Amino acid sequence: MTIFHRQRSQGMRFLRGLLLPLVALAGFAFARSSTGDSVLVLLDPSLDRDNFSIFFGDLEKQGYKLTFRSPKEAEPQIIKDDVAQFAHVIVFAPDTKSYAADITPQSLVSLLNKNTNLLLALSTKQTPITSLAAEFSLILPPPGTPLISHFPERDTPATIIPVEPPRAQSLVSSNLAPIWFSGVPQALGNNPMLVPFLKAPPQSFASDGDSDSGSDALVEAAEKGGEGLWAGSQLSLVTGFQTLKNARATWVGGIDMFTDEFFNKEVSKGKQSGNRQFARDVTAWTFQESNVLRIDTVEHHRVNETLPRETYTINDRVTYTAYISKFNPELDLWEPYSNIKDMQLEFTMLDPHIRTALPPVPGEPGKYSVTFRVPDRHGVFKFVVDYKRKGSTYLESTTVVPVVPPRHDEYPRFLSAAWPYYAGAISTSAAFVIFVALWLGGDEREPKKGKGAKAE
Amino acid sequence: MAVGVFSWFLLALVVVGTHAATLTLQSPRITISSSDASQLRSEPLSLAHKPSPPLSLGPSDVLKLTFQVVDKDDGKGVQPHQTFLRFFDEKTGEEGIQPVKVTPGGKAKFELNMARPPSSLPPSATDPLKVSLYIGSFVHPPVQYELFDLVVPPSQPPAQHPEEVHFHVRPEIQHTFRPDQKLPPKVISAFFTLLLAAPWVVLLGLWAHVRPQVPYLFSPSILPFVASLAVFEALLVQYWVALRLGQVLFYAAILAIPTALTGQRALAALGERRLGKSSK
Repeated sequence: MTIFHRQRSQGMRFLRGLLLPLVALAGFAFARSSTGDSVLVLLDPSLDRDNFSIFFGDLEKQGYKLTFRSPKEAEPQIIKDDVAQFAHVIVFAPDTKSYAADITPQSLVSLLNKNTNLLLALSTKQTPITSLAAEFSLILPPPGTPLISHFPERDTPATIIPVEPPRAQSLVSSNLAPIWFSGVPQALGNNPMLVPFLKAPPQSFASDGDSDSGSDALVEAAEKGGEGLWAGSQLSLVTGFQTLKNARATWVGGIDMFTDEFFNKEVSKGKQSGNRQFARDVTAWTFQESNVLRIDTVEHHRVNETLPRETYTINDRVTYTAYISKFNPELDLWEPYSNIKDMQLEFTMLDPHIRTALPPVPGEPGKYSVTFRVPDRHGVFKFVVDYKRKGSTYLESTTVVPVVPPRHDEYPRFLSAAWPYYAGAISTSAAFVIFVALWLGGDEREPKKGKGAKAE
Repeated sequence: MAVGVFSWFLLALVVVGTHAATLTLQSPRITISSSDASQLRSEPLSLAHKPSPPLSLGPSDVLKLTFQVVDKDDGKGVQPHQTFLRFFDEKTGEEGIQPVKVTPGGKAKFELNMARPPSSLPPSATDPLKVSLYIGSFVHPPVQYELFDLVVPPSQPPAQHPEEVHFHVRPEIQHTFRPDQKLPPKVISAFFTLLLAAPWVVLLGLWAHVRPQVPYLFSPSILPFVASLAVFEALLVQYWVALRLGQVLFYAAILAIPTALTGQRALAALGERRLGKSSK
């Protein structure tokens, strides 16, 4: 089976080699998702679609096919006959309290299990979506408390906040202008599957106050027994979550950051906000355009051989190879990817017996390989690659191989310790042949004479 | 982030010129006392530069911070909306925000008792925590002060999610192999091999005296049988070196037929020879 895979992947590589120039010729190829182009937008009727014209227009320009639906309409269904009907779902209904029957927190979670990506907007109102957020390790402030910040001094209300984009983070374009935000912050649980895109400014906090007299309420909230204080840069405003099945769900603290108004709003004189590019980066990640990896195939064989063995013998030297590709959204194809530096391979029977680095092979794109000595324990082992890093697809691969002790004829031969035994056996065999030769070929009378002659 | 904060701060300062009623701190002061109420350190805080050396708290010390928030113009006390102390560990990124209670007269007192640290104090390592004060208001322009660096005893690291380890490089595991079997020195093996070969020396020595004659060995009736026996021995050696049991049985079965036939002929010839000799 592995061989078949390998051949297929080589075939694909060849095909890709042919196609690549063609695609490049097409030139302005759109960014595409690795999972599909169909997007369902659940847009609350109270929100005007025209207010989001730039955001939706950008998505359509990327090649996505948007289908709009009010949360209370029954058609088109998100799951039909247990099949997800859309590759991505945008839930822009932060204030909607009741949905059509097919949209429940459970159905949204089952969408994730079907590798459908979600983009969900939150608001200060308590809705079914906010209670779902808790299942993603997001801890929301009490209803009605938006994020406010008095810093910096500006002419917008305290709830409309320019947020510095993260520096040194691979998911968001570098050198973005500050991003306008208005909405609820999320305190993050310690779940490592969370990917914070935008952290709150350190001076900001969640509060329902609108005058300075609310300061005592803030102090009380932070005290023991209070409802807690949502404050500081540990809070996240836009948070991604990647499930174990690699579907992506992104929670946005406020829908306003996607409006045309915030896209065009200046952060300082003549300088447009970073919202538009940030929205593009967030959707690119959420819709599995960026940071999408996969293991094409894995191989294993003994050193100096090329084909995999059914079983390996203890102490064999075995080479394990994995081929990894990354999705290129601009060309809409998978390219060999060699930039993973910290992948590890485990050789496991119940517990890992060996855990070693699985480094890229220089000069061979996409190939990662390691050679190691099989432990001197026999049993059913597994080659396990389990590469999980925040923000990129989890890579998992398990290959079962039995490890057996040497066969009776596989032990070392010609040991120096056994020389006496070899000598004994050979000398017995030789003596037998010589005896037969003497007995059959000799003359029984003559020796007597010879002896007699010699004795004389 | 820090750059951004700073630029906002500058922006805030610029805007302040047009706006009236800037807030400032009056007589900020820190006091560190130990658990038995003896004062270890007490000094007024300068808002321009941080105290040096950094403040340091033992496991049961108490830090007291007092100040008054006042309007810069008329010197009256003000109660702002936000009076937050921020404890920040630059290395780990851990942060804690602690609101400070301010009276309507602007007076504020904050106590940090290390025997009972507040939940807002972030998990700390050996690096000092940077402590800053944010004052924000709906009326007045915001101000922030970098107050001081604070060294606190290291705390327990924050609790980890059980899945967290999978998201980092894990420690390498190497299998400990059994040591190779030890072989006795080759000299000893060679000695015993020679010992086993010794009877041959004796045998060859005696044969040198006896000079056994094999006049019939090359006769067509004897040689094929001896040769096929030799081939059998060679097959067994080959079995030991390279062949599998099934192969050996196959070859042996083939070899057995000529061996049996030649053996019969050889014995018949031998019998004939003896009979012929005895009859002579």
